[in-house]
Amino acid sequence: MKANLNWLKRYVDIEESAETLANDLTMFGLNVEEYHARAAPFNGVVFGVVREVQKHPRADRLSLCVVDVGGPEPLRIVCGASNVRAGLNVAVALHGAVLAGGLEIKRTKIRGEVSEGMICSEIELGIGDDAGGIIELDFTEPLGTPLDNRLGGGDVMFDIEITPNRPDLLSLTGIAREIAALYRRELRSPPRRTLEPGSGCTLEIENFADCPRYAAAFIDNVTIAPSPDWMQELLAAVGVKPINNIVDVTNFVLMEMGQPLHAFDRDRLRRDTIVVRRARSGESLVTLDDVVRELTPDMLVIADAERSVALAGMMGGRDTEVTGGTKRVLLESAMFEPRLVRSARIGLKLETEASYRFEREADIGVMQEALERACFLIEEIGAGKPSSFVVDRMAENAPTHGRAIPLRVDQANRVMGTRLAADEVAQLLERLGLGTSIMEDIVQVSVPAFRRDIKEEIDLIEEAARVYGYEKIGLDEEPRCTVYSSASPISSRNENICQYLCARGFAEVITTSFMDPDDPARMEWPASDPRSAPLPVSNPLTAGQSVLRTSLLPGLLGVVKRNAPDEHEGLRIFEMGKVFLKENGGGGLPREELHLTALFARDAQPVQWLVEKRPFDFFDMKGELEALIDQFGVAAGLSQERKEGAPGYIFNWISVNGVLAEGGLLARSIASRYDIEDPIYYFDLVLDVLPAKGGIKLGFSAISQYPAVKRDLCVVAPDRTTFADIHTCIAGQAKNLESIKMFDYYRGGHLGEGKRSYTFRLNFRSSRATLDDQAVDKEINAILAALQRELQVTLRS
Amino acid sequence: MKSDRFEPARIRELGERAGALLSSAPDLDALEEARVRLLGRKGEITELLRSIGQLDPVDRPVIGNLINEIKDKLNKLLEERRAVLSAGLYDEEPYPGDPTLPGRGSWAGGLHVLHRVVDDIKQILYGMGYSLAEGPDVELDYYNFEALNFPPDHPSRDLQDTFYINRDILLRTQTSPVQVRYMEKHTPPLKILAPGRVYRNESPDPSHAAEFLQIEGLYVDSDVSLADLKNDVTHFVHEFFGSDARVRFRPHFFPFTEPSAEVDMSCFSCKGQGCAVCGKTGWLEIMGAGMVHPHVFRYAGYDPDSYTGFAFGMGVDRIAMLKHGIDDIRRFLANDLRFLRQFWMESRAEVYE
Repeated sequence: MKANLNWLKRYVDIEESAETLANDLTMFGLNVEEYHARAAPFNGVVFGVVREVQKHPRADRLSLCVVDVGGPEPLRIVCGASNVRAGLNVAVALHGAVLAGGLEIKRTKIRGEVSEGMICSEIELGIGDDAGGIIELDFTEPLGTPLDNRLGGGDVMFDIEITPNRPDLLSLTGIAREIAALYRRELRSPPRRTLEPGSGCTLEIENFADCPRYAAAFIDNVTIAPSPDWMQELLAAVGVKPINNIVDVTNFVLMEMGQPLHAFDRDRLRRDTIVVRRARSGESLVTLDDVVRELTPDMLVIADAERSVALAGMMGGRDTEVTGGTKRVLLESAMFEPRLVRSARIGLKLETEASYRFEREADIGVMQEALERACFLIEEIGAGKPSSFVVDRMAENAPTHGRAIPLRVDQANRVMGTRLAADEVAQLLERLGLGTSIMEDIVQVSVPAFRRDIKEEIDLIEEAARVYGYEKIGLDEEPRCTVYSSASPISSRNENICQYLCARGFAEVITTSFMDPDDPARMEWPASDPRSAPLPVSNPLTAGQSVLRTSLLPGLLGVVKRNAPDEHEGLRIFEMGKVFLKENGGGGLPREELHLTALFARDAQPVQWLVEKRPFDFFDMKGELEALIDQFGVAAGLSQERKEGAPGYIFNWISVNGVLAEGGLLARSIASRYDIEDPIYYFDLVLDVLPAKGGIKLGFSAISQYPAVKRDLCVVAPDRTTFADIHTCIAGQAKNLESIKMFDYYRGGHLGEGKRSYTFRLNFRSSRATLDDQAVDKEINAILAALQRELQVTLRS
Repeated sequence: MKSDRFEPARIRELGERAGALLSSAPDLDALEEARVRLLGRKGEITELLRSIGQLDPVDRPVIGNLINEIKDKLNKLLEERRAVLSAGLYDEEPYPGDPTLPGRGSWAGGLHVLHRVVDDIKQILYGMGYSLAEGPDVELDYYNFEALNFPPDHPSRDLQDTFYINRDILLRTQTSPVQVRYMEKHTPPLKILAPGRVYRNESPDPSHAAEFLQIEGLYVDSDVSLADLKNDVTHFVHEFFGSDARVRFRPHFFPFTEPSAEVDMSCFSCKGQGCAVCGKTGWLEIMGAGMVHPHVFRYAGYDPDSYTGFAFGMGVDRIAMLKHGIDDIRRFLANDLRFLRQFWMESRAEVYE
């Protein structure tokens, strides 16, 4: 809401500087987002001093003045003001200056005498109403100083954030009322012309639920002309374009009182009738902006006896607008149901000053006052002759007189943390124009109709707190804490995983929750995969962000693309975040699953000396994933399975709780759809499957005090035999085997087609005795025999 | 012929020079060089001993003894010096030629800056008695708006542009729905913090993002007051931004709190004098707060006469931008590693310090 100081001063005295006022209003709950001195309505006017004054030889009322404006030669100016005299400090419009209302000053001759400019009055500069004489400036500036900053009328523009609960502040008097409360000053009501209920037009309201009140006033002998300068000037200050005297008055009252008015050309209303009704299907209306509006029955219109003539609460119709030829005017002041205006505004994409206010609920008590104010102004500026009668229809029991709400002083102190007495609380509220009476520890508050936001006790407490001043509340009480925080194991486990991965050299990233609807196809997820059916957003920002992600992978691939190989020889990134699956997640909502997805690309190790450069591979990924699973405790039973139907080289890691993770090498076709050349390895872990406290109970077991015996074993296996087969076989045989480590793997070459060799380091240890070579040999022989027997695996010669 | 070089004085002189050379050798290489020069096969001492036959046989035992004595002494010195120089070195390891060579290591990693800021905030709030609570990103209109006292078709809903899945389901625009969900399942006293991602349907620009992080605090008990709210929020700001930050509460409107306040902190950049960071106001808006509205209690099934409470909420992205002087909110989800890496160090002088 824009409000300028000069306009506000019509209703309340303001002595404070703009800065103080802005700050005080902000702390009072009216957040001043911006304020600045208003640009002067003129330019080319400078400070000067009158040196000599002589009578004009051919005109009694004019003077010939010599005026010094700091230039090499003083100016000769003809002046008609009676107060001009030598020594006066004045505002001088130079040749080329443009004054209020667009008047351009030129070097000229007046009655035969040269005049090189003009000595200005307030009204010529548009900074006041005084046309009686030239301005006598009481300050001294260097001669020739431009005056547009000094003489901007001292006006300041305030841009104030009005929250949706305070429609009463969408007006200059509303803001003035707050200033009056803030500084405990008197509020001046603008004068009105009293109207009596009486005859006028025919008025029908189809449904009071849609339109709880409609009032009309009538103006005869209308003379359409521009409105006076002072009104145009004030309207321009708050950004309203002047149109003509009648329309300007309606806009002036809108800004002044917050009540939208509309002026109809009464002679164009058929059968002098106003009907407030729902639009009929198929009906259309050309609005003031020359747009043909197709109407539907969920819209409210103003109609005459035959057709709709205005969109209720939004905009008038072209056909009944006030024009140069208008002789009689009907002024509308009404209240429309906020939801109807809102849905029409959204449906028609048409927001106006009126719709904005009606949506926030008009003040039902002010309809007639607004008309009375408009009639006063119309008469004052000579735009027409108002009738003394008003036609006013209102729903029964319309709350025009506000409400009475009891306020418990104890409760007010309890919420605020204060120790105020009943009369102190009452005084705070009275400053806002609320009526109070005290009954023991209850303040009975009568709330005027314009404060439609105050509906219950808590609203009064807020007002009391605001007027009392938030800055005065609290901080002196003893801080107390009656609640202790409790641990959240899952969250701390997840935090630990993030910390762990960072220490392992992963960069954490955070990507968007949205996904491209084409991502499932790009990722080649089969239709049976729940990831292939993401949840669409009905009003997305862009098509590429129109569904919710079902996987973190597309986002991570975007990160790979963004961090090009030139800059990053290797990438290890992870994200911990939610994915959204269409299946039922309870309470009518989709299922949200917390995933940890890590992605690897390019080199396995940073480039450094004496370290061989090699690309990251599947087993690097597997090592990272399994170390993580080990660290965060999943009980035995983990197995890997090639993921069915998945392109690329992808495996599932399965625990007793179900599929815990998938990981592997992304298919080249997928990577290339994301413009990535490098092979991409990833793992994707479902954190909801990972047990919160791990599946393994931590507990002490005795440490053997006997030494270990180390044996290396190199075996050759046929190609179809896997490492896992051999590992299981070895582990199944040995009694005192403490660990098995595979440290060399070789395939083909001199071993011959279809052969592989593995070298194991076996560690034997007993908890009861020192193992001797004999005992270990016995175990090795048993292992070799079993390998030969079960897997045709032999000792390498 | 008796040569000058067998003069006992000169032999002793040689012995002393050789001794000095050995005991001052700066490293093993120099020591070895000195050994070869003195005691090697063609070394000065070895040569001298070898040519003793040129002496008169009468003089030989005396001079021979003298040289041998010196030789033993030098060998002893050599061993002593070798022991000193090789202390701490392994036999097989070559002496590292250039200690300025770069050290080896693995990849460097770190948390996302937003994660760190969330974590810092959480740690402070944990210490103040708040416990973690969470809720879904895809939320019912009921919890996001209705139960928070945003009536259907009310302009207060325009405060937050919303992504809808359908008429009843939306992407939460705030973390406040967690308040109602939590209160439905717990009875006071309760004190929770609820971090999470929230969504606004607005076109991104340097200070607006369609997705960002929020942290919500809620405290409900029998007599929680606005004064308690000021205590907690002020304590939090002092912990997070430093105790010289001034805090002010300005009346404001939120549908789900009343009285409501916007919380401003004195600008860390200009200390409240007014600068470009704070838009010349001297203040930075950092959170919204207020006393839980009785309607919200009613929706949660509480008797509003039995309990009072406060809630506050802050945008993590905005706080991170303030704290680290980051110019554009869109950088957070862009994940340029050159950006992320700047926030990996454990302690980093923050702009406001």
